[in-house]
Amino acid sequence: MKISLNWLKEYIPVTHTVEEIANKVSLTGIESSPVTLGQGLDKLVVGHITSIKSHPDSDHLNICTVDVGEDEDIQIVCGAPNVADGQYVIVARHGAHLPEGKRIKHGKIRGIESNGMICGLDEIGVPEKYVPEAFQNGIYVFPEAEKTGSNALELLGLTDEMVDLDITPNRADTLGMHGAAWEIGATYDEKPDIKKAELDDSKVKELSDITAEVKDDKLVPDFLLRELKDITVGESPLWMQRRLWNQNIQPVNNVIDATNYVMIEYGQPIQAYDLDKLQENKLVVRNAKSGEKFTLEDDTEKSLSHNDLVVASGAQILGIAGVAGGIEARVTADTKNVLLESAVFDGASVRKSAQRHDLRGDASNRYEKGVDNGSVSEALERAVQLVDQTGSVSVISQEIVGSRTEAKPTVITGSIKHINHLMGLDLSSYKIMKIIDQLGFEAKLDGDAVTVTIPTRRWDMAIEADLIEEVIRIYGYDNLKGTLPSGMETSGGYSPKREFSNKLSNSLLSQGLDEVINFALLSKNEVKDFNIKETNLTKLLHPMTEDHEYLRTSLIPGLVNNVAYNQARNNNDVAIFEQARIFDRQQGEDRPAEVEYISGAVSGNIANDSWNTTKKAVDFYDVKGIVEELLSFTNAKSHFEYVATDEITNLHPGQSAFITADGQRVGYIGKLHPSYQSEHNVDDTFVFELNIDELFELNKRKVQSQSAPKYPSVSRDLAILVDKDVESGQIVNDIFTNGGKYLIDANIFDLYQGSHVKPGHKSLGYHLVFQNPNDTLTDETVEQAFDVIKESLVQKFNVEIR
Amino acid sequence: MSLNDKLKDLRKNGINEAKRAERLQELNDLRVNLLGKKGPITKALRGMKDVPAEERPEIGTLANNVKKDIQLAIEEKMDELNQQMIAKKLEDEKIDVTLPAQSRTIGTRHILKQTIEDIEEFFIGLGYRVDAGHEVEEDHYNFERLNIPKDHPARDMQDTFYLTDELLMRTQTSAQEGRDMESHDFSKGPLKVVSPGVVYRRDDDDATHSHQFHQIEGLVVDKNVSMADLKGTLEALCRHVFGPNREIRFRPSYFPFTEPSVEVDISCFNCNGEGCRICKYTGWIEVLGAGLTHPNVLEMSGIDSTVYSGIAFGLGPERFAMLKYGITDIRDFYLNDVRFLEQFKGVN
Ligand SMILES: [Zn+2]
Repeated sequence: MKISLNWLKEYIPVTHTVEEIANKVSLTGIESSPVTLGQGLDKLVVGHITSIKSHPDSDHLNICTVDVGEDEDIQIVCGAPNVADGQYVIVARHGAHLPEGKRIKHGKIRGIESNGMICGLDEIGVPEKYVPEAFQNGIYVFPEAEKTGSNALELLGLTDEMVDLDITPNRADTLGMHGAAWEIGATYDEKPDIKKAELDDSKVKELSDITAEVKDDKLVPDFLLRELKDITVGESPLWMQRRLWNQNIQPVNNVIDATNYVMIEYGQPIQAYDLDKLQENKLVVRNAKSGEKFTLEDDTEKSLSHNDLVVASGAQILGIAGVAGGIEARVTADTKNVLLESAVFDGASVRKSAQRHDLRGDASNRYEKGVDNGSVSEALERAVQLVDQTGSVSVISQEIVGSRTEAKPTVITGSIKHINHLMGLDLSSYKIMKIIDQLGFEAKLDGDAVTVTIPTRRWDMAIEADLIEEVIRIYGYDNLKGTLPSGMETSGGYSPKREFSNKLSNSLLSQGLDEVINFALLSKNEVKDFNIKETNLTKLLHPMTEDHEYLRTSLIPGLVNNVAYNQARNNNDVAIFEQARIFDRQQGEDRPAEVEYISGAVSGNIANDSWNTTKKAVDFYDVKGIVEELLSFTNAKSHFEYVATDEITNLHPGQSAFITADGQRVGYIGKLHPSYQSEHNVDDTFVFELNIDELFELNKRKVQSQSAPKYPSVSRDLAILVDKDVESGQIVNDIFTNGGKYLIDANIFDLYQGSHVKPGHKSLGYHLVFQNPNDTLTDETVEQAFDVIKESLVQKFNVEIR
Repeated sequence: MSLNDKLKDLRKNGINEAKRAERLQELNDLRVNLLGKKGPITKALRGMKDVPAEERPEIGTLANNVKKDIQLAIEEKMDELNQQMIAKKLEDEKIDVTLPAQSRTIGTRHILKQTIEDIEEFFIGLGYRVDAGHEVEEDHYNFERLNIPKDHPARDMQDTFYLTDELLMRTQTSAQEGRDMESHDFSKGPLKVVSPGVVYRRDDDDATHSHQFHQIEGLVVDKNVSMADLKGTLEALCRHVFGPNREIRFRPSYFPFTEPSVEVDISCFNCNGEGCRICKYTGWIEVLGAGLTHPNVLEMSGIDSTVYSGIAFGLGPERFAMLKYGITDIRDFYLNDVRFLEQFKGVN
């Protein structure tokens, strides 16, 4: 809410600039910014139209003679339909600056001299929707005579300086001028002088023609009414109107304006009804019937829910409680008798109704966050007083009570020591009591114990911690010196699994893969693409878009998107990985397990044409190398194997494998299926995905250091011819099975398949290395082992030794 | 010609020949030819018998000197030729060092992960554990245990992705507070923990909003923690991340799970408080929210709020990185254009 300094001055002395006040309030209470209206506007004065005649060459223009407070009247041609002789109006003089850089100059309009412009409010900075209806399509006319030549902007409140409070939901007490005055006053050690509303006692009568009933006083703790008889509905005085349009409220008539004005003053919404339009002489606050119809003031119809709280008179719905008034009993120019309502409605109920019907407004905003139930009655009196002032009421009823809840101040007890302790300060009890007094709270000190009575206007306060906040913010956070917690030493750190996962990420980084972060919420298609474990999908109840509807079951779809995004931008060579969670939901469970994965994608070239290299496109074995290096960092004792598979739908059936650790699947690797690649607009792309949680369980190897071997190794080369479907892995496994304890390595150095070998066969060459860590190996020992290896290969795979 | 003159002649010619040599082979030949057993000096010395006995020692000395001198001349020349050869070889092997390298590329850690790790490591140094928590969380921990009951208006501030009535994508890493507090054994010392991770909000993605982003929650619960401890801790953090000259300030704010609550601003690192576009001409930049753990939150975890107190803070790695590196669109973090990613190589 914007707090006008001119208005604030009625309660506390204002001795600082609006910038200083906004800054100080931000640091001690509520985030604020300074606002100054009318900046850059000038030469806007009050003019009095002394004569008017029609323009000879136009049927809608008039030639006005206007007294602008100078010796000679000036002539202005005006096209507004509502211009008339004798009006007091806003005149933009020659040279005047208007909003949006508009400038007024004298000139001729259809041949007639015009020395300025007569303005409407919307032309000088009041948004059109807040301009009183009578002046919305024309010039503004002052309600009373004003001194000609005086500053029109000032008279209209359009030079006001305001502090715009951006409140947090707990500080709705400052959604009224009184609350704001208390708050700003506390920061400047000034107690606001707030005058009580007073009624003309001679007019107050006991009437019994209207009753009120509240069905559920938990939802409606306070519901008070007053009748006002024989009022005159008309335009409000300018001082009230200008305060309203500066609050973004359109002045309507003296009754409606008074209700809005009181809402701004007290923060208490007030509702007005035309007494004579009520169906019954009784107001009832009840839940609506499901499907019950209600028509808003602007004639739109709402179908109500049984959760909506309504104010009704018989079958007639007057309004949704705390949210919106209706058309049925609206106060209009013809209204003679009025019923004013001041109530407290349950915040949650108001919030839900306002949301349900998309009707959030000034009143619902206040009810949602709370209102001071200690001022419900007084706010009603104040509204009555204002209507009486402007509408000369004949009779005012006593308060008609539908429900009333006693407003009890909260009592907070605290300890000076504990308060200081939590602040990390050592303030004297005198200083703390002084601050509490500055806030307008009454307090008693008894030794270390302090008992504070919180007025109902600060319903946000309940416990000692609230009091601590009040003390420290008024004392000033700037005066607080930082320290570090001084408790027992603790040893911090990552969890072992996090350390493990960092190690795996680092192994990929060091192999040149960039790390990416993708969204965990995927589309229905994406989430199925690599659901290798066929886990149950987890779906959001209310997704925002179809793109982000399901929890991911694999990191691959995100990585493929990244490859596509980059390749579409000519970043053709992409090597990326992601380390994040996937969601694995067991049948019958609501909650998915969160499993840490690490996955990568490599596409394009791993070497490019250059002055000394030729390009090389990534292939399966490049990515297998990356994975092997990563697995070497798992500290696992396990034996990792690559088991060819054609089961993974979106991978190439001839170039993919499950990765197993001692036979247990821990991930997979492969080339994307050509049709998946073309669907996703990526070049040949190889991916891998590994389950960190499973790898972490293998992380059991205890390293026992061994000296580097001191005896030479002996090597033998083995060339074989074998059926082309025999995998090299099978051969190597067999070599190791039979190679004896001195065989330490078996590397493939040659693979040939083609016209020089038997059809359906391939030729393989292996380099075997033998070593005895404790002695020099003899040729005889090696030859023996070599023979066993060869013999086994011949028997098992029918190989031909070459 | 006397033997004496003969030897001197041989010396002169030998030295001259050595100096004229152009190849090492010539010098080797020269050495063999002149100084060898069949060489002219040896030959000349055969005429010694004709020399009177008293002159013989002198001639002998001369002959040795001649050999030495020629030897020396050959060696000098050899050195010279060797030097020339090396110089030529080096000249021949000269390369263009401006030609592009054979690249040995290390990947780049995602800038958000770098930012998070930098902050984690700062707190690990202060004795904090790192506990990542759950991305799918119960309403109970995400809201209720944080003093945000079902009808609390604060639930509007963060629209939530629910999976069921009771399960949701966590909207804040503060959701880990309840779990950390209830499982901590206070007899073993204070609870000091940071919880980094992914959080989710029902937001439309645009330049400043993302339905998925990161947070780091920090929590200390002990018998003696205060608002001053909170300020000192965050001061140290902000100086670690944004530079040693940063000042911080607290402004009152509101979070349901802390009381008092504050917003924390740092003095603008761009203009040092003078006022600029980054700090919207205020000299200060809002970086995080914090406060003393609300007594209700402590009590709900079975902690006696009259004995224990807590400090809690929550910060956004996206915001930190955006401020620090001038990133203007939050979506850049999730598009993963490698040109964007790789510019952050080695920044942390
Ligand atoms: Zn700045």
